[in-house]
Formats: sequence, structure tokens, C-alpha cells
Amino acid sequence: MMTAEVKRKEGFLYELKKNRALWVMLLPAFVIVILFQYFPMAGLVLAFKNYRFDQGVFGSAWNGLDNFRYLFQSGTGWLITKNTIVYNLVNLVTSQALAILIAIFISEINNRIFKKLTQSFIFLPYFISWVIVGTFVYAIFNYETGVLNNLISSSGGEAVNFYNMPWVWPIIICCFNSWKWCGYNSVIYIAAITGVDREIYEAAAVDGATIGQRIRHITLPTIRPTIITMLLLNVGRILRGDFEMFYQIVGNNGQLFNATDVIDTYVFRSLLQSSNLGMSAAASFYQSVLCFVIIMIVNAAVKHVEPDYALF
Amino acid sequence: MKKQLAAVMLAAATGVSVLAGCGSSGSGSGNAATQSAASASGTSAAAQSGGLDTSKEVNLVMYVISNRPAGQDAVDENLNKLLKEKLNCTLTINWIPWSDYANKYPLLFSSGEQFDMAYTSNWLNWTQLARKGAFMQLDDLWPTYAPDNWAATSEMAKAEATIDGHLYVVPTQKATYTAYGPIYRTKFDDGKEYTDEITDMTSMETYLDWIKANEPDLKPYQVYSAGSEMDDMWMYSQGFCASKGATNDFLFYNPEDENPKLFTYYEYDGVNDFLDMMEGWNGKGYYSKSALSDTDSTQVQNGLAAMQVHNIDTYSGLYILHPDWGFKYVNLRKHVAHLPYTQDSMAISTTSQNPERALALWNLLTTDQEVYDAFYYGILDTSYTLDDKGEFKITDPDTYATSAMWAVRTNELDRNGVGTPDDYVTQRNQWEEDIKSDDTAEKYAAFTIDTTNIETEYAACQSVQQQYWWPLELGFTDKESGLKEYQEKMEAAGIEKVRTEIQGQLDAYVATLK
Repeated sequence: MMTAEVKRKEGFLYELKKNRALWVMLLPAFVIVILFQYFPMAGLVLAFKNYRFDQGVFGSAWNGLDNFRYLFQSGTGWLITKNTIVYNLVNLVTSQALAILIAIFISEINNRIFKKLTQSFIFLPYFISWVIVGTFVYAIFNYETGVLNNLISSSGGEAVNFYNMPWVWPIIICCFNSWKWCGYNSVIYIAAITGVDREIYEAAAVDGATIGQRIRHITLPTIRPTIITMLLLNVGRILRGDFEMFYQIVGNNGQLFNATDVIDTYVFRSLLQSSNLGMSAAASFYQSVLCFVIIMIVNAAVKHVEPDYALF
Repeated sequence: MKKQLAAVMLAAATGVSVLAGCGSSGSGSGNAATQSAASASGTSAAAQSGGLDTSKEVNLVMYVISNRPAGQDAVDENLNKLLKEKLNCTLTINWIPWSDYANKYPLLFSSGEQFDMAYTSNWLNWTQLARKGAFMQLDDLWPTYAPDNWAATSEMAKAEATIDGHLYVVPTQKATYTAYGPIYRTKFDDGKEYTDEITDMTSMETYLDWIKANEPDLKPYQVYSAGSEMDDMWMYSQGFCASKGATNDFLFYNPEDENPKLFTYYEYDGVNDFLDMMEGWNGKGYYSKSALSDTDSTQVQNGLAAMQVHNIDTYSGLYILHPDWGFKYVNLRKHVAHLPYTQDSMAISTTSQNPERALALWNLLTTDQEVYDAFYYGILDTSYTLDDKGEFKITDPDTYATSAMWAVRTNELDRNGVGTPDDYVTQRNQWEEDIKSDDTAEKYAAFTIDTTNIETEYAACQSVQQQYWWPLELGFTDKESGLKEYQEKMEAAGIEKVRTEIQGQLDAYVATLK
């Protein structure tokens, strides 16, 4: 009690002096965050300006909420917001669930070489650019020469025009997303599982726990904090569609837009033609504000249930 | 352990919400303009540079859009030797690659970077950039410092380069034409040859049928993810003009009318004929049913498709590339006019420190064959060779093809490539004659739309156009319900407001003609 009071009197300067090595180590990260995260936020005013090149960001005239209007013109705003959130939620759940599954399986494999090989193979898609994936998708699903349609017709079926069936595309996108990210995400879970004391497993095995029971009662509970942190972090970008993925898989195909358009692709398409920086800034601002609201709500909810697991 | 992890993750998460906004304060344009006015008074020195004091050596910076050729350094060195001697300046050419231009090009002007010249065009939205203050105003500078170029530029081109009463860009002097039509292959690997000619839509269909029957490995008509050109060509062949003067438009007018009224596809009587035709084509498999997801824009060039619709320069390029494939070209547009000269233009940045020298350089580039060749084709006998007709051939396209500053071309200085088809010249000459005798052809050539007041609605309409018209046009969606949905979405996007605004501009333009 006494020492605590003394410390408080010494204040921040004392803290700075006492832990100066730690503070110095923190400094670069601190500077980078201020410089590249907080400082550019001043540019957000662009969302409320009628931007002119010769007057610059701060010199241009204000134009209220005009820049936000086009997002909601003809009701597209709600559709793309809904699409963005639904896609991200589904992608989040599927890719994380798959990653956890893979992590558990890989850590249960005993043969070292086989384990490393499997892990590498599952990790590989992470390095394949969406541009390449986009050509895969076309090669698989196109009507005339697509691999899938060749299989269907050679087995006597009738060719299917996937590009005329918007409802299959959420599934296709979800599969490719999981395929690309599960290996990468599983690394984090594998690390978490490796951190678990092997003796607990051995003790459980001695007590007669089956492999299923060991996974359910030991592995899953111990990696729970990791799972929650990963979920929280991804919820933070739930309003940001993975632009590359959507753009490369769907491209300019208007038939699929209602089922696949997310905020990023809509903004890209409609503003590619005009050089209105104010409108792009407005879209980005809209996403940031919604992201902020969502992460605050989710974090508060986590804090309420399990204070230790909340991000802040 | 878990807290550590959380901390690391938090640091990573902050990286998510980045919003780029590079600040720049307005500077440059004002004082540069007054400077030029001041130095314009001393007109005694070399006539070539329009009375410009060239005693101080300057380095000019130019931006173009294309991927930087591997052999650019050698070309630069060769060119700069010439420029140093003739104008006491050097030129640095910066390249914005195709993959980045949509983002990087507008940022060029918002970042406040100091540079002198940039390529600009319709597809780079030069009118919007000019209205938003990205370019230096050239009313006095251009005639003073690039006098020969000024004299050689047609009144039409100058009118096109004028926005709100001021000149903002220096357009190209090379005439290009609005002619649009099929480029089709007539000789095939199996020795077969198509002997008829395409002269209209019906004979085009005959050709496509022939390909389908005789060359099953080729797609008859090339369509890819940028949408089909058939709708544009259909409208042009009926004699209509697109309001923005480019493909993929949604508002048209008839230049033959005394007071033209804008209309869109669903208000046009012939739209059902067109959609019937396209539905038939889709059914017969003239193009892929997944065409809008195919990103391959070189199907004809690579022998995967037989016909594409484009302009005569694309035809000439294909002909040179594959002389034995028997490419033919026909224009199906009713009224051929000159394309806006501004479709290839050079703009001076408001941040330029040496706009006078930049224009003097432009004057030199567009009047001196030696400098032009060194700038456009590179080094003689190294990067290109000339035959006895004066036609050029690029030695190694992977090292250096031609410059990407297409605005520099003029009718006099520009050379044809070796192997250019004969009718490239004859067809162009024919159009030049047609323009002289056709009163309607160029009546609306200087009409440009201004979307400043309707940016929101215009962007929304463009988006609807792509989402609903493109698939409809290709027969991928049902004709009747598709057309109705397209109309509903267009109306929701604000087409009426767009039409009212642009109709007002068109009426004002018509008033100036009288």
C-alpha cells in the first residue's frame, strides 16, 4: 500500500526513467502509429469537401454530406453494406473454423516429415495471388471450356451456366476464401496448441481419455483466448471487403453483382470513371465509422462475458 | 501468454484502418502565370523557342502511362544529347504502369509533386481534372512559347481543348477518326478462305455463321470483360452520336435533327431489333456464355477468335502482326468525323516550375523530325530501322517499342509501320473527303459534357449501365424483364436528372451553332 502511493507520487517521469529501456523499445512503434495512423486521419476532412487539385485537401470548399449521397443513390448502399457484412461473417466463421480444425489435426500427427509436408501444402495457397485465382475460377466455371462443365458433359449431363446463377457465387467465393486463408490462419492456432503442456495430455491419456475427449477438454479450452482474439481482430475489418478477391473472381460481370457486390468493389467501379477523391474518401469514412462502432460493441460484449479476453 | 498475443494482435489491427490523404497546399499556378506574362515581353532571341531565354539549363519532368520499357535509359540519353544542344534542357520521363494508373494518375496531381508535363486523355477524365484545377491554364503560354505548334493546331482542336473559356491542354495534331467497325480474319490455318465482304450488319451475321460452320475452334466474335462493342456500333451505324463521345455510353442523340433530344436504350424504337439479334447470336454461340468474366482482350490477336469490333489502328496493328491471316476492316459508322484531338493531349501541371521551357520543348518535338524520331521511336538502327519508304520497324519490342506520349504525333512527322495495309491510307483519305462533304459529321465534334453538377447521379448511372445493360445486351438476361429492370434501375439512379442537365448543355451548344 505504502509503496504504491510512493510510486504514484514519483509519477510518469519516474516511470520513464526506471523503465527507459522498455520505453525506447516502444518508441519506434509509437512513432510509426502516430505518423502513419493518426496523422493521416486529418485527411478524413476530404470526405466533406469538394476537392480541387489546385486548392488542396484543406483549401477546398466544404460540401456537407454530398459525397455520401452517391453511396445510397438508388438504394445500393444498403445492399452492398449487407453483402459486405454477410460475406465477411461467413468467411470469418468458415475460414477460422477450418483453420482450427487443421491446426488440431496437424498437431495430432506424429510423423514429423508428414506433418511438415501437410502444413506446407495447406499453407501454399496463401502465396497465390488473387489475379491467378481469378483465372483459375474462369477456367473451372466457364460455360464452353470450363473444367467443371467438361466433366459434367463427359459424364452425360447438361452443361451448367454458372455465370447465370448468382446464388452459387457466395459459395464459390467462400470456398476460395477458406482455401486461401485457412493454412495461414492455422499457423497461429498451431503455435497456441504447441504452447500447451504435453504432460496434461499424457495425464489425460493415462486416465483413459480418448483422443476426442482430449481435444474437446484440453485443446479447445486452452486455445480459446486465441480464437477470441482472432475473431475480434477480424470483426474489426468486417466492413472492408477483400477487394482483390471479389474483383478478381467476379470482375466486371454484371449478372453477379447483386449477389457479390461489396462496398469496395462498388466504389471502385463507379469511381474509376471519375476522379472524385471526395467520394472515395466518403466511402472509406463510412466504412471506418461502421467498423469502429462494430468493434466497440463486440469488444464491450466480450468484456462483459470474459474481461480477460477483451482487446482493450 | 494470452495478453502478449493480444498486444501483438492489437498492433497489427491498427494497421487495418488506413486512410490515405496526402495534403498539398495550392501553389504554383498563380505566380507561374504572371512570370510567363512578364518574360513574354522580351521577344528577341531564337525564333524557335519563341523568345525564351534558354541560357539556364533545366530538367523537365514528363509523366506518361505505360509500362517502362527496358531500353528507356539508352533512348533518354540519346534524346537528351539532342535537347541539350537545341534547347539547353534535359527530359526525364516517368512511367505510370498500366496496373496502377487508375490510382496513381489522380494522385499525381493531388500529391503536390513538382513536374512539368503529363499525358492526358478522355479516358483519364482530363475535363474533370482541368475543372478541378489540376492543369495550368495555357491561354497566353501556348501561343507565346510553342508558336509553330499553335499555328499548326486546327481551330477545331483548340475549341475542344477549351474548358469554361480557357485552354488547358495541347491536343495531338494527328487526325484520328470516329470510324468503327469489324476487323475480321479471312484466311485460316486449314487453308480455308472467306471470300465475301462485310458491308453491313446482315453480311456480318453471314460471316459469323460461316465461321461457326467452318472454323469450329474459333470463337466467331471476341467479347471479354469490358463489355461488347456491338451496342455502340449498332447505334453508330444508325447515325446516332454518344453524348460523351466514347463507347459504353447510355445517352444518345441524332445529329441529323435540328434540335437533337437525348434518349437512352429503352426509349429507342430499334432496341428490340437489336436485342433480338443479340439473343440469336448468344443462342448460336457466337461468343462465350461466360464472356463477361473472360479477361482475355487479345483473342483475335492470338487466333482464338475471328472478329472484333474496333478502330482502324487496331486493324493496322493486327495486320502487321499477322500479314498472312488476311485481316480486313470496314467502317460501319454512318457519319465519320475526326475523333476529338484531345483524346491524346499534353497538359502542363499547375506545379510546373518551367512551363515556358516545357512548351518550347513541345514546340520542338512536334515540328522537328530529328527530335521527334529520337523521342518517339528511339535510336535509329538500334531501337528502330527505317525502310526506303520511310516506314519504321521496331527492332525489339521487348526492349523499346514507341513512346507512350501519343499526343506528340502529328500527321507530318508520324511514320507508318513497315507492313501497314494499303487501305489504311486509302480508307483514311476517303474519310477525310467524306468529312468535307458531310455537313452533319463534325457539327457536334466540339460538344463535351460537364458532369460537375450531377457527379453522384452520373456515377450511379454508369454503374447501372454496366450491371444491367451489359448482360442484357449480350442476351444473358431475359429480353423483356431485363429491359424493364434496366429501366427501373436507371430511373432510380437518377437518369432523368442526368438527362435534364446534359440536354441543357446540348441545347446551349446548338444555340451557339446558329
